[in-house]
Amino acid sequence: MKRYEVIIVGAGPSGLSAAIEAAKRGIKTIVFDENEKPGGQLFKQIHKFFGSKKHHAKIRGFKIGEELLKEADEAGVEVVLNATVIGLYADKEVVVRRGDEVSHYKGDTVIVATGAAENMVTFPGWTLPGVIGAGAAQTMMNLHGIKPGKKILMLGSGNVGLVVSFQLLQAGCEVAALVDAAPKIGGYGVHASKVARTGVPFYLSHTITKAHGEDHVTGVTISKVDEHFSPIEGTEKYFDVDTICMAVGLSPMSQLLKMSGCQMEDNPKKGGQVPITDEYGETSVPGLFAAGDVSGIEEASSAMIEGRMAGVCVAEYLGYCTEEEKEQILAELKEDLESLRQGMFAPANRGKEITETEEGIAVSKNLLQHGFLTEKEVEKYPGVVHKVGVHPVMECTQNIPCNPCQDACPRGCITIGENITYLPIVADGSKCSGCGMCVASCSGQAIFLVDEDCGDGSATVTVPYEFFPIPEEGSKGFGLSRNGEKLCEATVVSVKSVAAYDHTNLLTMRVPKEYAMAARFFKAG
Amino acid sequence: MNRIEEHPILGEPQKGREVTFTFDGKEMKGCEGEPIAMALKANGVMIHRYTKKEHKPRGIFCAIGRCTDCVMVVNGKLNVRTCITPLEEGMVVQTQDGVTAKGA
Amino acid sequence: MNQIVDRSRDIGEFVPQPDDDMLVCRCEEVTKGEIRKAVHDGMWTITEIRRYLRTGMGLCQGQTCARLVKGIVARELGISPAQLEPATARSPMRPIEMKVLGKEEVSDTWQ
Repeated sequence: MKRYEVIIVGAGPSGLSAAIEAAKRGIKTIVFDENEKPGGQLFKQIHKFFGSKKHHAKIRGFKIGEELLKEADEAGVEVVLNATVIGLYADKEVVVRRGDEVSHYKGDTVIVATGAAENMVTFPGWTLPGVIGAGAAQTMMNLHGIKPGKKILMLGSGNVGLVVSFQLLQAGCEVAALVDAAPKIGGYGVHASKVARTGVPFYLSHTITKAHGEDHVTGVTISKVDEHFSPIEGTEKYFDVDTICMAVGLSPMSQLLKMSGCQMEDNPKKGGQVPITDEYGETSVPGLFAAGDVSGIEEASSAMIEGRMAGVCVAEYLGYCTEEEKEQILAELKEDLESLRQGMFAPANRGKEITETEEGIAVSKNLLQHGFLTEKEVEKYPGVVHKVGVHPVMECTQNIPCNPCQDACPRGCITIGENITYLPIVADGSKCSGCGMCVASCSGQAIFLVDEDCGDGSATVTVPYEFFPIPEEGSKGFGLSRNGEKLCEATVVSVKSVAAYDHTNLLTMRVPKEYAMAARFFKAG
Repeated sequence: MNRIEEHPILGEPQKGREVTFTFDGKEMKGCEGEPIAMALKANGVMIHRYTKKEHKPRGIFCAIGRCTDCVMVVNGKLNVRTCITPLEEGMVVQTQDGVTAKGA
Repeated sequence: MNQIVDRSRDIGEFVPQPDDDMLVCRCEEVTKGEIRKAVHDGMWTITEIRRYLRTGMGLCQGQTCARLVKGIVARELGISPAQLEPATARSPMRPIEMKVLGKEEVSDTWQ
């Protein structure tokens, strides 16, 4: 048996972050991960993250993963892959299977960062090939370059369901519908809107009543549900899909912690069985920590901060940093974490009904029920203004901790205000150069550049465009509304793509001026 | 086909060299090092096994080695999680029927 | 959690439901009806259900169905799922061949 000062289970965002903090203080750090590659789920996240600079905002998940790996490597972290931790015994003894060997390790401290497992729901036919988890879809298309299906129905409107639906479209699949039994969309409105504007219909208060097919999925029937989530007869709708994707939440994968004998609790706000910890992740067993989703389901951004907290605590526990240093770093990290835990989607607000923004504006009901803002509703929000000449229109209508747009504008046109969750506003007297940095910086793809009246009866609308094929300049097609309906004829004026946009192309289309505030997507045709 | 040729964010998928394997005796092509399940998916194979009790078809479900629904007989070995086992040249992959290879 | 469930409590008769044939444990092929019946047969804890029906004891060790089974048992007992103690967590956490588990070689050649 070998002894390590700290053993970390899981090389995902929190595990790696913890390892970095420990190793850079001179601690011999080992990380075991059952997968072939490190990074956990980060490498499947191809969208830009929310938050502030500190939280790696507007950087795509897989890029954050690459940065973390580089940092871990520089700090001297030892990551052992294809190494499955099959047991965690009392006194922090870790049992690892690698290849055809099982070995025991003793950790002076152990950080469990095993992440989460996907929840599933049952319906007739749910065991058929073609019914998959949303994570499986991400693994197939974003890691292995394989399309999960040709035509897919997504169940679940949380951020995972919304983000994966968008990713399916990016991979070249068709998304037939997005379905959720809840009456309201669970994820960010901006994530929903970027799916809705491509024409994907949302069916809230609906559930899958049957997956059809003998050997594999050939179709699916959904039904409207009543307030008790029971299907209502006569409301069935059939879709001829070959794949059904489930994104119905995550549960902490906390079995190792339970095995270790630390105190556990069943906490629905944290997603299920979690260890009871102090605010920095230490369990009831001294020297045993939990970080990331295993201690409560949140975002990768918070998992990374939690990992760093655990890493610093371990360093102090082992005598590699002073208590004073620890307290100072923890205070900073706590501030970062708290800023991420603000806004409408904060963990503290789970299950609460929020009807107004922090600015006192009514939250769009249409956005929550159908995934898009109506033309009338959108005018209420501070980011939506009318000006002469080209200017940003920011359809950001929910308070989420995110501010890259503010930093993106070289002319300082955009301000968020003192609280990171405030809705962005266009500063008075600002002069937009039309550079498009704000459009590309918005992780929610909610910023558009609009010239409402070009003087010849036309308007131009610049939209973020992350699909292939990229329409050619001068090509004709249609301007689509916020819910993906064909509104008007549109001509592609330009498609800009520079390194700073990071693969978010800026497509400018010319539309009749009466559609300047309505056309939000382009479809070739 | 089910392979993504070029992705708007990720570009061209980085894959291993082309290798040949067999699925229930039929020759197929895949990329070396990708999970067996991905090579099968690219070839349009949906059914990985039939269950023991009810004889129902199963395929990829979680794709990360947790659910064990995608297990098959690989090179004669039962219960191999194909979603996390890398493809190698000449592999013999068989549909699993209960706890034997199909037709065995 | 850890609340002692009063076994003398009357939970009523088993009433068949239209979705009783729904498969819940994918590995061991156990249906919702079998789980509900087991509760009426006196299996009130997750551990008892597991030993009685083998739910969550197949190849995946309950990765997929643990939460579903808990929900069904809790509903049948008229309690919240949080009140049911989850199954005992024990090694090995992932499927492993007996010959590998039995060998337990200590090796220092990993690096």
